[in-house]
Amino acid sequence: MNEADYGTGQKKLGMYLMGFISCSLLTLLSFWSVMSQRFSKFELLAVIFSSALIQFLVQVICFLRLTTETEQGKTNIMTFLFTVVILISIIVGSLWIMWNLNYYMMH
Amino acid sequence: MFQNLLFGKLSLAAIPFDNYFAMGAGTFMVLVVVSFLVAMTVFKKWSYLWNDWITTVDHKKIGIMYLILAFVMLLRGFSDALLMRSQQAIAAGDSLGFLPPHHFGEIFTAHGVIMIFFVAMPLIFALLNMIVPLQIGARDVAYPYLNSLSFWLTFVGAMLCNTSLVVGHFASTGWLAYPPLSELYYSPDVGVDYYIWCLQISGVGTLLAGINFIATILKMRCKGMTLMKMPVFVWSALCAMILVALAFPVLTVTLALLSLDRMLDMHFFTDFAGGNSMMYINLIWVWGHPEVYILILPVFGIFSEVVATFSQKKLFGYTTMVWAIAMITFLSFVVWLHHFFTMGAGADVNSFFGIATMIIAIPTGVKVFNWLFTMFKGRIIMATPMLWVTAFFTTFAIGGMTGVMMAVPPVDFQVHNSLFLVAHFHNVIIGGVLFGSFAGVIYWFPKVFGFRLDEAWGKRAFYFWVAGFYCAFMPLYILGLDGFVRRTAHYANTLYQPYLIFAAMGALLILVGILCQVIQLYVSIKNRHALHDRTGDPWNGRTLEWSISSPAPIYNFANLPTVESLDQFWVDKEKHRSEGYVHPKDMHYHAIHMPKNTSAGFIIAIFSGITGFALVWHMLIPGVIGLLGVIATAIARTFSNDVDYYIDAETVKKTELAHLKELV
Amino acid sequence: MHNDAVLIEEHHNSDSTDVFGFWLYILTDCILFGSLFATFLVLNNPGFPGPVLKNYVNLPDVFIETFLLLISNFTFCLATLNLYKDKLVKVQLWLGVTFLLGLGFIYLEVTEFMHLANEGFRWDVSGAISSFFALVGTHGLHVSFGLLWILILMIQLPLIKLNHVRRRRMTYLGLFWNFLDIVWIFVFTIVYLMGAI
Repeated sequence: MNEADYGTGQKKLGMYLMGFISCSLLTLLSFWSVMSQRFSKFELLAVIFSSALIQFLVQVICFLRLTTETEQGKTNIMTFLFTVVILISIIVGSLWIMWNLNYYMMH
Repeated sequence: MFQNLLFGKLSLAAIPFDNYFAMGAGTFMVLVVVSFLVAMTVFKKWSYLWNDWITTVDHKKIGIMYLILAFVMLLRGFSDALLMRSQQAIAAGDSLGFLPPHHFGEIFTAHGVIMIFFVAMPLIFALLNMIVPLQIGARDVAYPYLNSLSFWLTFVGAMLCNTSLVVGHFASTGWLAYPPLSELYYSPDVGVDYYIWCLQISGVGTLLAGINFIATILKMRCKGMTLMKMPVFVWSALCAMILVALAFPVLTVTLALLSLDRMLDMHFFTDFAGGNSMMYINLIWVWGHPEVYILILPVFGIFSEVVATFSQKKLFGYTTMVWAIAMITFLSFVVWLHHFFTMGAGADVNSFFGIATMIIAIPTGVKVFNWLFTMFKGRIIMATPMLWVTAFFTTFAIGGMTGVMMAVPPVDFQVHNSLFLVAHFHNVIIGGVLFGSFAGVIYWFPKVFGFRLDEAWGKRAFYFWVAGFYCAFMPLYILGLDGFVRRTAHYANTLYQPYLIFAAMGALLILVGILCQVIQLYVSIKNRHALHDRTGDPWNGRTLEWSISSPAPIYNFANLPTVESLDQFWVDKEKHRSEGYVHPKDMHYHAIHMPKNTSAGFIIAIFSGITGFALVWHMLIPGVIGLLGVIATAIARTFSNDVDYYIDAETVKKTELAHLKELV
Repeated sequence: MHNDAVLIEEHHNSDSTDVFGFWLYILTDCILFGSLFATFLVLNNPGFPGPVLKNYVNLPDVFIETFLLLISNFTFCLATLNLYKDKLVKVQLWLGVTFLLGLGFIYLEVTEFMHLANEGFRWDVSGAISSFFALVGTHGLHVSFGLLWILILMIQLPLIKLNHVRRRRMTYLGLFWNFLDIVWIFVFTIVYLMGAI
């Protein structure tokens, strides 16, 4: 094995370019849709959030190069997924609790 | 102007000359420090101290330093407990006791902070440091320099807390410093700032240690040791460290936001201008609940080791034990609201978290039954560690039961913030964390120091501790059910007083127990030759740490072991080492790659302490110097190439053969 | 003494462990930012008192900031590619470009903060604004620290003789820089764009 296993995929210019172009397009889409003032609130929220999520995935796969190819890569992804689960539970949980408290205690 | 930049709010008036307890304790502390410095000078031990302890990156030594820190801070935290018990035993009806409410507040705050952050956590990290690398067949943790940094940051945090006793004073907000009381308006002095910075500094240390142990356990196990062949103690350590890594950032953020409120007039947790003090309570418990599982999980691991060894039987249900630990790890992130049922969320939110809290009790129950099944038909040896385990079973079960009671929101509404709650958490922390840590310390003491602890004094300490605990805390359950609120400096109804006097007696019994432990230490050191651990395996243990000499050589294993099954060492012993045994004389030794000592960890911690102290007193120049010092030292370290060395094969061979001579 | 093959394997194992540790640190930083996001969302719940970001912020500036950071992310990857081809001069070049782009990001952000403060959108006015400055400011502090790190690395690369050490240190910074751009995706979406809707 020539390289230390960092748990990342092969470093390829193609992947980086693809990532860069996709992210640029997604960013443009998000900004343009909000700044053009042409869409309803709901549509805008849907666009910017899905664009953010897709761009997040693109960055993780194309720039961070998280991969399941190597053992370390699998470990990295598992730790990453666990963190995301806990993160969602903390954020969603806090929002639910605080909204609930606000409703019952601040009115 | 310059004086202001240099000294900020600090002046001689900061020393609390009117507070006799603080002055007494402070004088005592200063005397201890001065005598230590004098002793070091007189016995010419400064270079020994620097080379062997302050700059060490050896996990075994770092573990010992954590242990010493924990026991020293236990004395301070316990003094706070004695003061509180005495005050409550006296201050009934017309008598106001000897502690004014504000001082009482500082004492219960300091008691909580010290016991959790500077006693319990260091105890856990002591045992993790001393034992985990040995149990996985590794030479050290993954990041020895970070390990040193983690310890010194914790040490500096503790020293900052101790400084608050004599320069200024500590917070009197309770150990979690809820706003709005902890905001600048209601706590305008330095107490809460001391609280924030001693926790932030030691919190960074803890977080780094968490990362360190996760990487160590996942990446540095010896050959053949798959995850399901690790000792249960290592599993519990791994999961506790995962909790550390995921929970401590939340504490860092929450305390940082509180400090921003106080220092820059922000409005995160103020009750006006769009702030929300309930958010603080929410966030602090998002951290706080995993924190209590961080404390208890390693202790569950200790029990698994101790029960198996002293029943001379394989641990029952290894797989379910691992699943139970994993379940507890995950579930501990979905129960935090049970700490504030009464803050006023709706029934839907309260019942979700109430049910989740009841569910989390189940894996713990599984573990208790597995331990009992391990003991069943075992050949039990009632050495002191095993005594602590049996005390744990009953004590922790009671504490757990009261916890499940409070998991039911309507019940919690009756007993929240009463002495019932106080009794519950002391029940599980003392009965669980402390009893388990004592068991672990006694069990592994020979491995670390090379001689056993005296059994007789150990047993005496045990009886006084257990009797003391029950006398001190069972009355509190009754008082709590009767409506006695926590954190009370004085109460009008004298009918409560007999219970509190009884509780104070309990505290005195615990004091005797602690004295027995001090005597035990003294006697053991005096008799260390008689108590010497010749073989490295004084308890007929099952796991890898018992396969090397006591104390372990600096490199731990001359040749890293290869493992084929769980409890490989036990398996080897059963086979009477008859197959494939290579005599140490004939073994092939090679040079061992070791990390070099470094002062960077200590220096960064000292600069952090300076920054923390400066932030407390608004001393701009020292603060900037401290911060620059931290960054500069960390960067300078990365330019260093002199970070490792080799122990040559001859030295290794000599060390191994010397141990062999002792065995024979 | 050791022979080379054993030495190389040791280095691979310890490099892998070292990078994994840094990855774990990044995950803890995710939780850190997550808590800041949670606080932001709670304190910016519709109906909060005080000035609203929409009235003070200039979205085109945010757009430029975003692209500066995104391009710098890409140029860092170019630097990494060149490092693995051992073209050290090009590495320094692309690191320098990354630094300048990042510096541009910080400059725009600092001037934006100063503008906001001057207009009355200050951190001591309301909880909503406090959480804005805490979240965006923490990200900015991380980026600033990254800039310092890029400089240090540029100084160190010529001094480091061993290939694997250069690659390992580059990997740390790469993970860090990448991670900051990922956090920024959520910052501009949730703070700026959602705030402008």
